[in-house]
Amino acid sequence: MIAAIDTAALLELMWAAPLAVLTITVAYGLVINGAARMAEARRDGRSAAVGLYAAVAIAGGALFAAAVVFGLIIMISKD
Amino acid sequence: MDSDIILIIVVGTALAFDFTNGFHDTANAIATSISTRALAPRTAVTLASVLNFVGAFISLKVAATVAGGIVDAKLVTTTVIFAGLIGAIFWNLLTWYFGLPSSSSHALIGGVVGAAFAAAGSKAVLTDGLLEKVIVPAVVAPVIAFLAAGGAILLTYRMVGRLRPGPVNRGYRLGQIASASLLSLSHGTNDAQKTMGIITLALIAHGDLTGAAPNPPTWVVVSAASAIALGTYSGGWRIIRTMGSRIIKMDPAQGFAAQTGGAAVLLTAAHLGFPLSTTHSITGAVLGAGAAKRLSAVRWGLAGNIVIGWILTLPAAAAVGALTYGLSNIFGSGALGPLLISVSLLALMAAIFGQRVRRGPALTTAPRET
Repeated sequence: MIAAIDTAALLELMWAAPLAVLTITVAYGLVINGAARMAEARRDGRSAAVGLYAAVAIAGGALFAAAVVFGLIIMISKD
Repeated sequence: MDSDIILIIVVGTALAFDFTNGFHDTANAIATSISTRALAPRTAVTLASVLNFVGAFISLKVAATVAGGIVDAKLVTTTVIFAGLIGAIFWNLLTWYFGLPSSSSHALIGGVVGAAFAAAGSKAVLTDGLLEKVIVPAVVAPVIAFLAAGGAILLTYRMVGRLRPGPVNRGYRLGQIASASLLSLSHGTNDAQKTMGIITLALIAHGDLTGAAPNPPTWVVVSAASAIALGTYSGGWRIIRTMGSRIIKMDPAQGFAAQTGGAAVLLTAAHLGFPLSTTHSITGAVLGAGAAKRLSAVRWGLAGNIVIGWILTLPAAAAVGALTYGLSNIFGSGALGPLLISVSLLALMAAIFGQRVRRGPALTTAPRET
């Protein structure tokens, strides 16, 4: 019966799925962190910090959007 | 004439199953969004309903076999499919009544396995397929989702824990709208196709479609998409309450971790050709997001009941599927058996619904928006 289980796919799933979850978590965490700190920096008038945190938020947002698009591609192309 | 009647009954029963699939699984996509107030209840079910409908059109690679690789396809008749659907509908309604999230796909497989077993004995059931496609994924999905969502929430608290809670909560609520949308779309692509596959198979058996893997006719796609969307819109509030607030009381970051954790596990598994149950993944993720914050925050008694429900899904749906096939067979192999069973069940459901309406609000009342 063990032969019936695709152990290679199962093992790959065990590291790939948590990695995907953690990547998305970090990406969205960067969006939240960047946006919140950017607002604080803007209130304090620190323009250099505003730019830096905006870049962090944008990078996180781009990574999150890429993950969503990849999810959509998986849905569309699945057998 | 008999085969025409059986075909109509199978199509009607498949759409009824699709409807129960929709309202049973609404919770998977939107329960956490409602409990964290990322979305108002009615807005959430409307969004999920529309995206389920759209999702049904995204991919039309419909499997021409029901429970393929699990039962011997040569032994699957329209009566076996009918009996399997009744088993699945029974289990969906029972678990919905008790507010327990359970897999509609496993219920359908169980129903068909039971009916095929009653029709042709043990040779109809392929145990290797059962192990590979049902039992192993049922164990793997919640465990991986539990660990992944648990890790995600710990990382989240580390990244945003020192920020002011107001903007953080608003940000994660926004993120939940994206993850709920992705889950709803994914549900539409997966689950509406099961119904399309069942109806397509019945049409092949009836001689209306030919070829090894014919595409479903447009009316099949539209009716399956509509049934699952309507089911989703009606909202299975009992399961939404369980998933959203009874297992754990969650904050927006936990809701986001649970939803994205479940979605990422599901989509990664689909990418690797190892399909998992949406219900098992999301429930595991909700438990993980709660337990990682504080073990005592999780209502483990309720979690235990959910797991018992998962263990019982296959045998219970199989038993009802086998019983339905046996009852139908008493009246011969024609349409009389399925017809009598359908009419009896419709009468029973109408009586139960009528009695319930007389007692008070309808069963699918949305939680109050405060």
